Amino acid sequence: MKVFSIAFNTFRENLRDKLLYNLLIFALLMIGSSLILMRLTLGEFHRLILDIGLGSINFFGVLIAIFVGIGLVSKEIEKKTIYTIVSKPVARFQFLLGKYLGLSLTLVINTAIMTAGLLAVLYFQDVPIHSVLFKALGMIMLEFMVVTAVALLFSTFSSATLSAIFTLAIYVIGHLTPDLKAFGQKMEGFGQTVLEGMYYVLPNLERFNLKGHVTHQMDVPAGDLLMIAAYGMAYTAFLLMLASVIFQRRDFR
Amino acid sequence: MTVSRALHRHGAPILQPLLFITLLLGGIGWLQAVLDQRQNRDVIQIEELSQLPRGEYLKPALFGYNNLGADVLWLRLLQVLGKKKNTTDEYDWIYHAMDVITTLDPHYDYVYYVGGVVLTNLANRVDLSNQLLEKGFKENSTVWNIPFLLGYNYYFVLGDAAKAAKYIEAAARLPGGPAYLPGLASRMYAEASNPDTALQFLETLWRQTQDSEMREVLERRAKEVMIERDIQVLESAVQQYRSKQGSYPKALHDLIANGYLNHLPQEPFGGFYELDSKTGMVRSSTHPDRLKVFRLDKRGKV
Repeated sequence: MKVFSIAFNTFRENLRDKLLYNLLIFALLMIGSSLILMRLTLGEFHRLILDIGLGSINFFGVLIAIFVGIGLVSKEIEKKTIYTIVSKPVARFQFLLGKYLGLSLTLVINTAIMTAGLLAVLYFQDVPIHSVLFKALGMIMLEFMVVTAVALLFSTFSSATLSAIFTLAIYVIGHLTPDLKAFGQKMEGFGQTVLEGMYYVLPNLERFNLKGHVTHQMDVPAGDLLMIAAYGMAYTAFLLMLASVIFQRRDFR
Repeated sequence: MTVSRALHRHGAPILQPLLFITLLLGGIGWLQAVLDQRQNRDVIQIEELSQLPRGEYLKPALFGYNNLGADVLWLRLLQVLGKKKNTTDEYDWIYHAMDVITTLDPHYDYVYYVGGVVLTNLANRVDLSNQLLEKGFKENSTVWNIPFLLGYNYYFVLGDAAKAAKYIEAAARLPGGPAYLPGLASRMYAEASNPDTALQFLETLWRQTQDSEMREVLERRAKEVMIERDIQVLESAVQQYRSKQGSYPKALHDLIANGYLNHLPQEPFGGFYELDSKTGMVRSSTHPDRLKVFRLDKRGKV
């Protein structure tokens, strides 16, 4: 119960920060791409709407996850509002979980509104809608969950600016880990162990990228989707546990 | 004095700063336009495209937005595709840009298609066209028009009917292609002096086809290929006859009488084969024209 009230409070705070204004830009992008770009391109116009739509849903979501996520804890500490919460009978992990769920709720609603907009454009432009679109959106949501957890983890022990840098770095690395493995296999001995170890420990965010499948209407087997979902959840849980262990030992001064 | 008074007054003047802002904005717009005039925008865009990093290096830098990246590059390429006079080196960058786009999104089949057409027909760079199409064929094994264009290149530009037939056959086996593809492939095989392969191909297709009309077309085509095969056999026997006897035989029966053939082949449409004893050419009474693909560049020669 305490977790949910913190979550809901975080969500309301996001709304008060006018976070959903990004939807305006999204709407402009969608309208612009369907009205203007349609005349400029040649050939597959459908894929342009799909690519821009999914791309911007993903991009805005990741931006929110990173730049709101890094302030989740550090902002409370800076504003000293954390004292009022810690002094109440709320376990620290409950506080963290509430914060995390609050931002996740914001992201879910944000994504849902964008998806509705995308679907509307697709419908009016007579673009066939395949089920793989929703699978891809689900995977994008999973990416948000992992990235938010990364931001929250850094937010528990570092300042907002540093957390932003760290989280962005993890985001970038997360899309390059397949290369880590490839490089590792070309090396020998210690180097290989280190690189492969990094490959398994760092989040592999490319796994959640099904945007290309939507454009080309390639279906993904349900078994694969389940495994990827399990990977995303497990990684999120791992990050949240780590964050709460660190946060537990944190001394606010 | 006036400045400090303006600062301290509660309702700060709005007109003056607005005037400045408008002036500055106008100045910015003017500078943009002047700068644009100093350089040719098309040339810059072409240079940007020609200096794109290779797709293998660009792809990781896009963090999973590679499809969107391919779209953006495709849009930019389209804006400048026909802008400059066509020179040979100019088409190197078109190929490069298309190669980058198709590395970012290997399944962007439309790019291969446009690239195949543009590079062959506008640029006269069939080598680059084939390179791009081969890449597309490897990545998209279910799109019929990529092998079709490859067949086109090999047949019309490179004059390699045997290779062309192989690609057209591959295209004919893929869904969505036009109904004339099997016929085209068999004509090419026949022209490449490979009527047996053509017959084999037609037979396979005949077995796969359920549609009775299509089967009729295929049967007719097979018979035409048989005529081609028979004529090839007969003409080579005629040539043997000439090299031994010094002159062309008077009639086809002379070939059997002198042991160059065991029997005369049956004309599949119920007609007969006749020999022109002056030229040594054999033709069918029902299909006097040889089975060949109509070719623009050879019109009048054949």
